Amino acid sequence: MNLFLQQILNGLAIGSLYAIFALGYTLVFSILRVINFTHGALFALGAYATYLLTGSAVNPSGVLASLFSAFFGKPALPLALPFLVSLVLGACVAGLAGMLVERIAFKPLRDRGADPLLALVSSLGVSIVLVNLMQYLVGTEIYPFPDTVLGNLPRAINFGVPGKPVPVRTVQIVMFVVSMILVVLLTYFINATKTGKALRAVAEDTTTAYLLGINTDRLILLTFFLSGFLGGVAGTLVGLSVGINGPYFGIAYGLKGLAVIVLGGLGDIPGAVVGGFALGLAEAFVPAHYVAYKDAVAFALLFIVLLTRPQGLLGRAAVQKV
Amino acid sequence: MSPLLELHNLHVSYGGIQALQSINLAVSAGEVVTLIGANGAGKTTTLRAISRLVQARTGSITYNGRDITRARPDEVVRLGIAQSPEGRRMLARQSVLDNLRLGAYTRRDRAGIEADVAQQFKRFPRLAERRTQLAGTLSGGEQQMLAIARALMSRPRLLLLDEPSLGLAPLVAREIFAIIDELRAAGVTILLVEQNAGLALQHATRGYVLEAGQLTIEGPAQALLNDERVRRAYLG
Ligand SMILES: Nc1ncnc2c1ncn2[C@@H]1O[C@H](COP(=O)(O)OP(=O)(O)O)[C@@H](O)[C@H]1O
Ligand SMILES: [Mg+2]
Repeated sequence: MNLFLQQILNGLAIGSLYAIFALGYTLVFSILRVINFTHGALFALGAYATYLLTGSAVNPSGVLASLFSAFFGKPALPLALPFLVSLVLGACVAGLAGMLVERIAFKPLRDRGADPLLALVSSLGVSIVLVNLMQYLVGTEIYPFPDTVLGNLPRAINFGVPGKPVPVRTVQIVMFVVSMILVVLLTYFINATKTGKALRAVAEDTTTAYLLGINTDRLILLTFFLSGFLGGVAGTLVGLSVGINGPYFGIAYGLKGLAVIVLGGLGDIPGAVVGGFALGLAEAFVPAHYVAYKDAVAFALLFIVLLTRPQGLLGRAAVQKV
Repeated sequence: MSPLLELHNLHVSYGGIQALQSINLAVSAGEVVTLIGANGAGKTTTLRAISRLVQARTGSITYNGRDITRARPDEVVRLGIAQSPEGRRMLARQSVLDNLRLGAYTRRDRAGIEADVAQQFKRFPRLAERRTQLAGTLSGGEQQMLAIARALMSRPRLLLLDEPSLGLAPLVAREIFAIIDELRAAGVTILLVEQNAGLALQHATRGYVLEAGQLTIEGPAQALLNDERVRRAYLG
């Protein structure tokens, strides 16, 4: 029973994380009708940026280590920002990189009136460049966040009663709380602010958006920033939980994120959230013995859902956008 | 006095296909000018060129003494040109109220915007009743009213209307044209595109006839109504 509760709590934590990561895809997809394949790379980028901003040291196998040593006398940035500040700034780095991705991989094709599918290929290309660049800078070794990064919070928090402990790692709770805050903020932004409504207008009909005087290019840039920001936060939170497992670790999450948005029915906020929790909970119940097959669960689940409910878990017939 | 809007020798093509050729058209402040022509003549393309949704291949568009041939679509709205597009193009998943407020996207004066929303609701009481409904649930006539009201929310000096009567029952179409008369009386300058030439000419001051991408006839609306060629081709 205790194990069951623990698994649910862990599933909720990772599920909320999948949700915000998938929302990054959703935002771009709802406006441009194309998957941004750099999302996994931005996930890794956000994690590394946060790691560096906390003042943690990089491994000598990347060039960043020698650069930092030459300038700062140690293989780290000469600062040590608190974790939450680093998280936000690191996510901003991923967001700005997302804006760059839009300008390099998406806008030139859009301006030429190319098929949106082509941007899929160009973003895949930029993604490979980004991953290789990160590898060049920081190497491929795993970077665990130092134990001290959460200050003096306990390592685990007990959700059970005395005598029947249900310990959940503090990291998982941070993951859940931060993710849910972002889901709420994003929902509010999209549904209740002028800019959010304009964004929905662009998603629904770009021509109408133009006629209303909306500068769609600017809003598309904003969308890429928000998307990259969400990806960056997700990367950091995974890094905090299991360490930053090389620049490629974003790619595996990138595929899971795709599974999540397809599960959720492609395109709106509730869909991505439901898809995220579905995947997180499903994975949490993979027996420890088969943990190596966790990723296979994601795609088995996806396959089953697609066979039985091609329109996604929430079952909307037509594709909904943000 | 120079006209509010002037198209000079405008050419537009889609890919290799010429849609508009040597268009010279002017609209002066206070006028209701109508552009009539058969399906596919290039009426919508003309309005899309003015709203900067399609590029002019050659020629120029001048608005209020300013060259807007290469302006961005949102700049054109800021300068005072609004369009109610063909097919209404509602934001179907947003409420009537949000559609209206987005019409004022380029404005910053909150109080003025809310006052204008109230004014539109007074002008279109049926929209007021449905203010919280999603725009996609409105009838065709109501959607057309919302499209016009939404365009007016940017406080345009020039209103472009593309086929406002298309697909509407005659009674509803007449309601829409009554609104056009009202706007004209209020001093809004209008460029009206219509397939229903008779109705359009009855409510306009001047008219142009567009045939296969070229302007062929122009003159005061009354003269066009009596023009033999116009009568045969469009009023028959
Ligand atoms: N997006 C487009 N791509 C290619 N051709 C188009 C496009 N839009 C319109 N056309 C063509 O341009 C011509 C003018 O169309 P349009 O301006 O819509 O005419 P109207 O509004 O008078 O019915 C037509 O021959 C039409 O087929
Ligand atoms: Mg047309």
